[in-house]
Amino acid sequence: MSAPGRVKARAVDMRVKIGPMTLRNPVLTASGTFGYGDEYAHVVDLERLGGVITKTVTLKPRAGNPPVRIAETPSGMLNSIGLENVGLVRFRAEKLPRLASLKATVVASIGGETPRELAKLLEALGSEPGIAGFEINFSCPNVARGGARYWAVPRRLERTMKLLRPLTHGALIAKLSPDVTSVGDLAIACEQGRADAVTAVNTFVGMAVDLDHMRHRLNRATGGLSGPAIKPLALARCHEAASAVRIPVVGSGGIMSGRDALEFIAVGASAVQVGTASFVRPRASADVLEEMTAYLGDRGVKSLESWRGGLAAGAARRPAVPATGGRRGSA
Amino acid sequence: MSSSTAAKPHEAPAWSQVRARVLSQRDYGPGHRWLDLEVPPGFLAPEAGQFMQLLLLPPSPVLLPRPMSVAGVTRSGRRTVVGFLYGPVGAGTRALARLVPGDEVDALGPLGRGYPLERPGTPVLVAGGRGVAPLLFAADVLRRGGRRCEFFFGARSRAQLVGLDDARRRLGRLGGRLHVATDDGSRGFGGTVVALLDRTARRLEGPLAIHACGPHGMLKAVALWALRHDAQAWLAMESVMACGTGVCRGCPLPRSEASRTEYLRARGDAPSLLGNSEYAMCCTEGPVFAASDLDWDRVE
Repeated sequence: MSAPGRVKARAVDMRVKIGPMTLRNPVLTASGTFGYGDEYAHVVDLERLGGVITKTVTLKPRAGNPPVRIAETPSGMLNSIGLENVGLVRFRAEKLPRLASLKATVVASIGGETPRELAKLLEALGSEPGIAGFEINFSCPNVARGGARYWAVPRRLERTMKLLRPLTHGALIAKLSPDVTSVGDLAIACEQGRADAVTAVNTFVGMAVDLDHMRHRLNRATGGLSGPAIKPLALARCHEAASAVRIPVVGSGGIMSGRDALEFIAVGASAVQVGTASFVRPRASADVLEEMTAYLGDRGVKSLESWRGGLAAGAARRPAVPATGGRRGSA
Repeated sequence: MSSSTAAKPHEAPAWSQVRARVLSQRDYGPGHRWLDLEVPPGFLAPEAGQFMQLLLLPPSPVLLPRPMSVAGVTRSGRRTVVGFLYGPVGAGTRALARLVPGDEVDALGPLGRGYPLERPGTPVLVAGGRGVAPLLFAADVLRRGGRRCEFFFGARSRAQLVGLDDARRRLGRLGGRLHVATDDGSRGFGGTVVALLDRTARRLEGPLAIHACGPHGMLKAVALWALRHDAQAWLAMESVMACGTGVCRGCPLPRSEASRTEYLRARGDAPSLLGNSEYAMCCTEGPVFAASDLDWDRVE
């Protein structure tokens, strides 16, 4: 943030292009952490965000997993929601009109158990004027079928992306699981399937045990780990994905502040997602954007794109811009 | 009875997240603390049965805010003070217990649906252990409204009757009655609070409007008793939560068959914040539920 008395930081061009979609800035809300947009609309000016990624919608409504669905762990949380959502019919009838009225850039997250299910969703939603793009949830760790493990096969991903590509003129983003041998290989498969971007990464599979009662803390034993605990892991996956492909990478995992977000941009991400932070502070996404812009503005950066990737593989080993003193990077 | 008659109609979220100041904090019976937080002007005051999410400022030993039942609201001039009664049992609440006057936390609320205290009938408050917190608040509200209530208070033993004197004071002038039960008989009736309710109910003027809070086992017993005796009962439930606002979908409770039918019938008007036909979200549809809303066989 600017020191008191300093002239207002110069405007930074924060725009990001993802396929056919131009975001006003790189801050997106992570799917499943921001509802359908309107739940937090009274505390966050959605129009100012890069975009809102809605809760994953599936063909049929899903009730989600039985309780217990949440367990807090050191610097993180496990969730086993199980893709609870209202289903395609109610999404179209009830959510889309409200989303359109929000004036936000909307990216709809869709999930399916098979390539055919995803195609059906995109056939229904692909031409909706209120949706700028789609994030394909290839990485839910909490469902019995069509979850992260099913989709962690490069050839399946490539074939699916090729199947989906003709069904929309909107952006297609593939959200990848980190629990794979090589997230880079999955990213390449998506790129070859003509995805516009990949998101690295969804939650990590984790487990928590209640030793005194000798039981799992989550009903399904495992859940997806998110929050600050996964940031170093996510950064490495994001760096790997960004090194592997030429399409934009959306960084995600444990981003709580503008500095966190810029670390992802530094290792090669073009945009970022704020997730668990919104549960802690509903305004987190707006705050992240403000902090990012102030950090870059204070350093005289003219555009995010010119600053991006200072620590990406192959980047020259130098700071992208001289630091202007003050805080050093956190250890 | 259905969920639509049990709960107040859904409105757009009215919560906000504000910086709140610790006005005072003190021991409150063995193993418990009472925390008074001053919230800024304009913050919508919680109702009895509603809760707030208290978030420790950095450095904090925990990530997520703590859902805390509101135990009282007092107003003087422009100042609004929200009281919480809690047991420091985990890392988050232990850190909360160390806060001193002048310290700050972020407070998000008011959240959820409270007790429908305006319902006709004899108000019967049933508290189990530290579940007394929202019922102290409810007794305040009833007293201010000039309504007498019957206050049932149960615990394992006398040491767990947290806030017994406060409960008595709140009943004082209006002559409401306090009925005490302990499992070990160390105070009042020897047995569960529901057994005491069962023995006493026939002497109370019907119809009864029961408002309860405590461990889920006790709430289940109250709910089943109410359903058997055709009394109305509202139970303040607990769940692990992340956001507290309906967004994370982390706090499902199993619906009863009646509630499922009602949800499917009215789903055109039901915002998705209010769960789905299988589960109700504790944070938005509760934490206070009508006895007929939940499938008590599946409540843990």
